[in-house]
Amino acid sequence: MAAVAVRRREYGSVFKYVLLLPAVIWVILFTFVPLISVIRYSFANYVLGQGITGYVGFANYADVLTSARFWHSIIVTAIYVAVTVPIEVILGFLAAWLVNLGAPWSRGFRTVIGMPLFTLEVAIGYLGVTMFSSQGGMIDSLLGLVGIHIPWMSTPWGGITAAIILDIWRWTSFVFLIALAALSAISSDLYDAAILDAKSHWPVMWRLGVPLAWPVMTIAILLRTIECLKVFAIPFALTTGGPGTSTEVFSAMDYLTTIQFFDFGKGSAMGIAFLVMVAVIITIFFKQMRKALD
Amino acid sequence: MINVLWLRSSLRSRVVVYLLLIAAATFTLLPFVWAILNSVKTSADTFDPGAIIPFVNFHPTLDSWINVLDDPQTENAFVSSVVVSLGTTLFSLILGVPAAYALARFKFPIGTNDIAMWFLSQRVLPPAVVLVPFYLMLVYLRLIDTWTGLIFCYSTFNLAFAVVIMRDIFRDVSTEIEDAAKVEGAKPWQIFWKISLPLSTDGLVVTSVLIFAFTWNEALFAAALTSQQATTFSALVLASRSTRGVDFNVASVNTLIGIIPPVIMYLFVQRYLARGLSFGAVKG
Repeated sequence: MAAVAVRRREYGSVFKYVLLLPAVIWVILFTFVPLISVIRYSFANYVLGQGITGYVGFANYADVLTSARFWHSIIVTAIYVAVTVPIEVILGFLAAWLVNLGAPWSRGFRTVIGMPLFTLEVAIGYLGVTMFSSQGGMIDSLLGLVGIHIPWMSTPWGGITAAIILDIWRWTSFVFLIALAALSAISSDLYDAAILDAKSHWPVMWRLGVPLAWPVMTIAILLRTIECLKVFAIPFALTTGGPGTSTEVFSAMDYLTTIQFFDFGKGSAMGIAFLVMVAVIITIFFKQMRKALD
Repeated sequence: MINVLWLRSSLRSRVVVYLLLIAAATFTLLPFVWAILNSVKTSADTFDPGAIIPFVNFHPTLDSWINVLDDPQTENAFVSSVVVSLGTTLFSLILGVPAAYALARFKFPIGTNDIAMWFLSQRVLPPAVVLVPFYLMLVYLRLIDTWTGLIFCYSTFNLAFAVVIMRDIFRDVSTEIEDAAKVEGAKPWQIFWKISLPLSTDGLVVTSVLIFAFTWNEALFAAALTSQQATTFSALVLASRSTRGVDFNVASVNTLIGIIPPVIMYLFVQRYLARGLSFGAVKG
C-alpha cells in the first residue's frame, strides 16, 4: 500500500499549475514588464518620434521632486483619500446595518443605495458641474433657500469638496454592499443573545455587528484606499483640475504630463515616485489585512 | 429576512430607522432625478431654478436626447464600451477563474494566501503610472485605438478581482461531491469543469457583473489609448466635458445613457451580490 502511495503522484499536482500559471504569466507580462520599462524611462531622456535619446540619471526625479505641481497633486490626493475613505466606510456600514434589519421595504432601499456603484464616474463628474453650478445648479439652489452660497466651482476648496461629495455618493455604495454581505452572514442566534441586555440598537451594533464584520470591513477599507489613491475620473471630469491646477489629483497630473505633453521621462519618474509612496502606505495596511483575508 | 433586532425594536427606533433609510435613499436618488429633469429641458430652462415640475413649470422636450442619440459618435462609443467590457469580462474570467480554483483547492509551495495577495497587489499600481509602457506596447503591437488593445489592458487590472472573488466562491462550494467524484476516478480537470464550475454559476455571474461595471467605468486608459475607432463611452463623455464645456442637457443625457447597461445588470443580480462581495465573511 505504502509503496503504491509513494509512486502515485499527488492528486492534481500538475493540473494545479496548468490552472494557475496562465494568470501568473499574464500578470508578469503585463504588470512587471511595463513596470520595469517605466523605471527605465524614468532615467531616460525621451523624445517623441525618436524614443530614448540618452540616459539622464536622476535628473527626471530631481525635476519631479522639486516640482510644486507634483507635491500639490500629492497633497490634494492625500486630502481626498483622508476625507472620503473614512466617511464612505462609516456611512456604508451604517446604511448596511439599517438595511440588514430587514424591515418591510428594506429590499427596495438596498436596491437604491447600492445603485451608484454601477454609474459612470466621468458622467457623474460632468453632471456634478451642473449640480454645483452657481447658475441654476441643484445644490446651489437648495442651499440658496437657506441663504447659503458656496463658491463650489470657482475656488480650490469648493472644487475639492464638491468632488469629495460626488465620490462619497458614488463609492459609499461599494462599502455598503460589502458590509451588507458581512452583516447578513451573522446568524440570528447571536442577535438573540446580544439583545437580551441591550435597550437600543447602538450597543448591539458596537458589540456584535462591528467586531463580526471587522475582518471584511478591513478589506473594504483596503480596497477603497487603493482605488481612491488612483482617483481620476470624478475630480477630473468635475473641475479638470481647476481653477488653475489647484484641484489636480495625482493621476490627472500624470495623465496630462504623459499624454498631452508626451514627456515620458518625467511622467515615468513621477509615476515611480508616487508608486513608492503608495506602496509604503499600502504595505503597512497589507500586514494587517493578511490576517483578515484568511 | 427580518432581523430579530427589528422585531424587538420600539416604535421610536423603527421610525428613526425609516427616517435614516429615506434620507439615504433621497441622497442617492437626487442626482438621478436632477439628470432626468434636465435631460427633458431646453437649454434656457436648465438655468431657471423655478423649472422643477414637468408640464407645470416647464414644457418637457426630448430634443437633447435626440441630439445626443443622433450623433453617430454616441452610438460608436456605446458599442465600443459594450464590446470592450464584455471582452474584458470574458478574458479576465478565462485567466482568473482557473487560477482562483487552483488557489481554493490545492496547496502550493508558496502559501496560497500570499499568491492571492500578490494578485490583489496588482490593483495598487495606478493606471497613470503604467500608461507610458502600455501606450508604447500597444503602438508596437499595432493595437492602439483598438478594442483588443483595451481588452488586454483592462483584463490585466481586473484579473485580481476574478481571482480573489472566485477563490472565495470556490471555497464555499462543498468538497463532498468533489471527493465522491475523486473516488469514482474522475480526473482533476473533469471535477473542475463538470462539478465545481457549474456549482459556482451565481458567483461567476456576480464576478462578471462587477468586472463589467468596473471596465465600463474606466476613463483614463480609454482616453489615453483610443482616439477614434475604439473610443469608449466614458472617454467620449470626458472629451465632451472639455470640448462642449458645461452643457446641462448633454451631461444629463450622458449620465443616463451611461448607467443603462451596468444598472440593468445590477438589478438582475443584486440578490447574489452579497455572495461575490463577502470576502470570506465569517459564516455564523
